[in-house]
Amino acid sequence: MPDWQELVRQSLFGLALDAEEKDEVHAELAAHLEESYESLRTKGLPERAAMQQTLAQVADWQDLRQRIQVARTRKENIMNDRVRQLWLPGLLTFALSMGLLAVVEKFGPRPIVLDLDKGTPILLFYTSWLLTLPLAGAMGALLSKRAGGSSRMSAISSVFPVLPFGVVFLIATPAGLLMGHNLAHHVVGAAFFTMMFGWVLVPGVALLAGGLLVQAFSRQSASRRIAGS
Amino acid sequence: MIGSGIKRGTAELAILSVLEEGPLHGYEMARRIEEQTKGALRFTLAALYPMLYRMEQRGWIRGAWEVSQSGRRKRCYRLTPAGKKKLSPLRKEWAELFGALKRLTKVAHA
Repeated sequence: MPDWQELVRQSLFGLALDAEEKDEVHAELAAHLEESYESLRTKGLPERAAMQQTLAQVADWQDLRQRIQVARTRKENIMNDRVRQLWLPGLLTFALSMGLLAVVEKFGPRPIVLDLDKGTPILLFYTSWLLTLPLAGAMGALLSKRAGGSSRMSAISSVFPVLPFGVVFLIATPAGLLMGHNLAHHVVGAAFFTMMFGWVLVPGVALLAGGLLVQAFSRQSASRRIAGS
Repeated sequence: MIGSGIKRGTAELAILSVLEEGPLHGYEMARRIEEQTKGALRFTLAALYPMLYRMEQRGWIRGAWEVSQSGRRKRCYRLTPAGKKKLSPLRKEWAELFGALKRLTKVAHA
């Protein structure tokens, strides 16, 4: 009986995986070949015929080597996909919306100020900024879609700019309650809701509106393409 | 005998389905699939392992080395929760496809 592990090692020469992973692949394939061979021998096949039949499972070792390599390194591709479909569009959407906010703050009209309670949380509404946000959301969705992102990825890319605010407020509120003993709970609570409303919910809806519009357009053009083909 | 294109498409479903019955190593998996499909689906080593590695990377199955009763080390694969979740819509998709093909061929032969 041949040394199956050595046979696999030689046949898959050039497999570009790290040493430990490569040994695992060699051991696994060798175990499979050995079991196939022994099963054929148990069925009564002579040594030579069993050997031939076992080795016939792989017509082209170089092709197998390539396919194993692609399959084992796909994690990297998934990471790349995530970067192209989510992180990059999301960060660009974030940069665009923050840039627009800076421009509006400097050159735009004054924000609408809502004084909810005397001396306590104030809500600022940059209306002109909110009106530009669908554009940023649409850009995020478009970039994600063009990179092959799913509807979910595309929607997350659109609302990406408000996610950090949401996370910060969710962390800051309990932290504020724990650390600031002199802060009245109702003040922190009111601040949380106004901040969430003004910086997460309303801008999030505006961003998502742009994103959903792009998704609706891309669905429409896809069905037109199918109908036309 | 089913053509190679269809085989490739059904391979994932076949693997997930046999693993639903319990953990298996590659050789046993191929043997079970062949036996249960009466030879219509046959996985050679070259077809099986790239598929298993790809499914493992997707998080549908997980392989771990185990020592069998005979003292041999074998890499056994199990369905992960993500794999279990994938199985049901995959079954539905294929059932719909085969249903549609069945209807289509009946119409074609009428």
